[in-house]
Amino acid sequence: MSSHSFAERDINLPTGVLRVRSGGEGRNVVHLHSAAGPRLSPVIEMLAAHHKVHSPFAPGFDGTPVHAGVETIEDLADLVAVFIRQECGGKCDLIGESFGGWIAAWVAVKHPDLVWQVVLEAPAGLRPGGKGGLPDDPEARQRALYAVPERAPAETRSASTLMANRKATVLYGNRVAYDEALADRLATIKARTLILMGTQDTIIPAETGQLLKAHIPQSHLTYIHGAAHALEFDQPKRVGNLVIDFLDRGESFLVREKTSALT
Amino acid sequence: MKFSFFHLMPWTDLPETPSQWPARNSYFNAERGKELYDSYLSTMAFAEQCGFDAVAANEHHFSPYSLMNNCNLIGAALSQRTKSIKLAMLGNLLPLLNPIRVAEEYAMLDVISGGRLVAGFVRGIPHEYIAYNIPPSESRARMKEALDLIIKAWTEPEPFGWEGEFYQHRAISIWPKPFQKPHPRILLSASNDESAEFVGQYDAMIGMTLIIDLDVAAKTIDVYRKVSRAHGRDPGPDSVLLSQQTCIADTDEEARAHMRAGLEYFHDKLMRPQQDAQRIVLQKSRFFSDEEQREFFVKRLVVHKSRSLEEQIDAGSVICGSPETVVKQIARLRKHLGAGQININMKIGTIPDHVVLRGMELFRDRVLPHVADL
Repeated sequence: MSSHSFAERDINLPTGVLRVRSGGEGRNVVHLHSAAGPRLSPVIEMLAAHHKVHSPFAPGFDGTPVHAGVETIEDLADLVAVFIRQECGGKCDLIGESFGGWIAAWVAVKHPDLVWQVVLEAPAGLRPGGKGGLPDDPEARQRALYAVPERAPAETRSASTLMANRKATVLYGNRVAYDEALADRLATIKARTLILMGTQDTIIPAETGQLLKAHIPQSHLTYIHGAAHALEFDQPKRVGNLVIDFLDRGESFLVREKTSALT
Repeated sequence: MKFSFFHLMPWTDLPETPSQWPARNSYFNAERGKELYDSYLSTMAFAEQCGFDAVAANEHHFSPYSLMNNCNLIGAALSQRTKSIKLAMLGNLLPLLNPIRVAEEYAMLDVISGGRLVAGFVRGIPHEYIAYNIPPSESRARMKEALDLIIKAWTEPEPFGWEGEFYQHRAISIWPKPFQKPHPRILLSASNDESAEFVGQYDAMIGMTLIIDLDVAAKTIDVYRKVSRAHGRDPGPDSVLLSQQTCIADTDEEARAHMRAGLEYFHDKLMRPQQDAQRIVLQKSRFFSDEEQREFFVKRLVVHKSRSLEEQIDAGSVICGSPETVVKQIARLRKHLGAGQININMKIGTIPDHVVLRGMELFRDRVLPHVADL
């Protein structure tokens, strides 16, 4: 699957215009991007070979307009719910990457009727004791994001766009390291949830994955060896194959089907 | 200083030098095998009464060189014959094995023994890779991933899955978990700078064997210390273990005579077939990441074998002599390498068991009192 099969379009929602990138055919999967903004990762391309993948841009990211009244992570979760109802026409699978994982967890909490299965990739917002976090120093930040630097995507966006993305992240996240309201409601999540953590992630600590695993009733925690925080770029095959298997087979993904998932 | 008593469990009755690897097992006699296991296990348990801090074992395959293809079984047997001595498994050949099985067996051994396990993980010697049909070129990457996985299996509070290059598991939750918290002390082997750098990345002891030059060994240990410090640790002498072929007898002459005979059988009969397999592995794979490391490994064996016993003693490769001589040799290793642990192997080839037992008594009565506080 190559990127040219993805198309971007603007859709009208009650709170404003939302940009979405979609591609592939099959069951609907909504992919929520990280604080780095919407990027077409190798994992999204792998997913599009099996599913119809929708990647909505959080308002304010990559030059898109903000929405009136959408100011918090919970607001973003409600916006995603509106999007799912309108574009997917009902339940879908949901994937959230870091900042997007925080939103995805809130969607699962607040809108269980819209979610079949959830994948939380090193989700933000649940760092116990504030452990971890994004380093300020650009070089240290890059090292914390990528265990395999040569796989980091080339940055083609302008400095002003990236600055706007950072501002949007702060606006929605309000620099919260540990979202107590979310933590208190994790046990109410009904959707089967796959939690992915990089073995070399220093931005989101292992304790976050352990917390999620301990509280979400039907959940699976998997460590991706050789990955830092940017799981989808560091180890795309490991992440992609695992996520596809989980989405396709649900609980049965525990049972191995072939000699190696990595070919 | 601390001392461990190591046993290789060699087969002592080979009638001829095997012409090819692997040595044919029609030489094996089950009744004799039973006798050897009984004798060897008794000897190893006796180490507790001789002041050793640990009794040690390791793993080898398809060879009369060692009757120990799973040292964890030996560790389990010793846990029932001893009370307080540490059980140093030095160690499991990690790249060849299922890491979950290793994590489970080590955890069992640690709980059964009440927290006496020293968890050794080694990459092993090249020919073992043929025995277990694992590509030698993958050994380093397998070693790292398996080690990371085992530490996770020991310490993770929740069931977890693992997606790596060599190991994929959808759900892991070992029972039991180790007795020692967060986990047993880890030892990793290193015979060159590349391995020492790897060891330094972990909170682990470094184990070295077959030293042919004290200055080269000191440099390798220095690499380990530097990398450890870069990772926020400052390993003391207690974190450096040297394995030494050793013979202690009442006189220097007696010790050297036994050592010569033992080494002759060890090199000419026990080691001979696996040298062939080793040569093939080294020629046809990337067991070592570069030519320099490969040459160093080969040269180390050739130099060691070509040296006289006296030259091996001078080089710091073996410990041999009367108690008074051995005290000086141990003090030299402590001073030159900063090593705080020595792993003593007294059963070299055909050295008789009664000579080994006498050597252990001499160690307890006339060596240890002079070196324990070094």
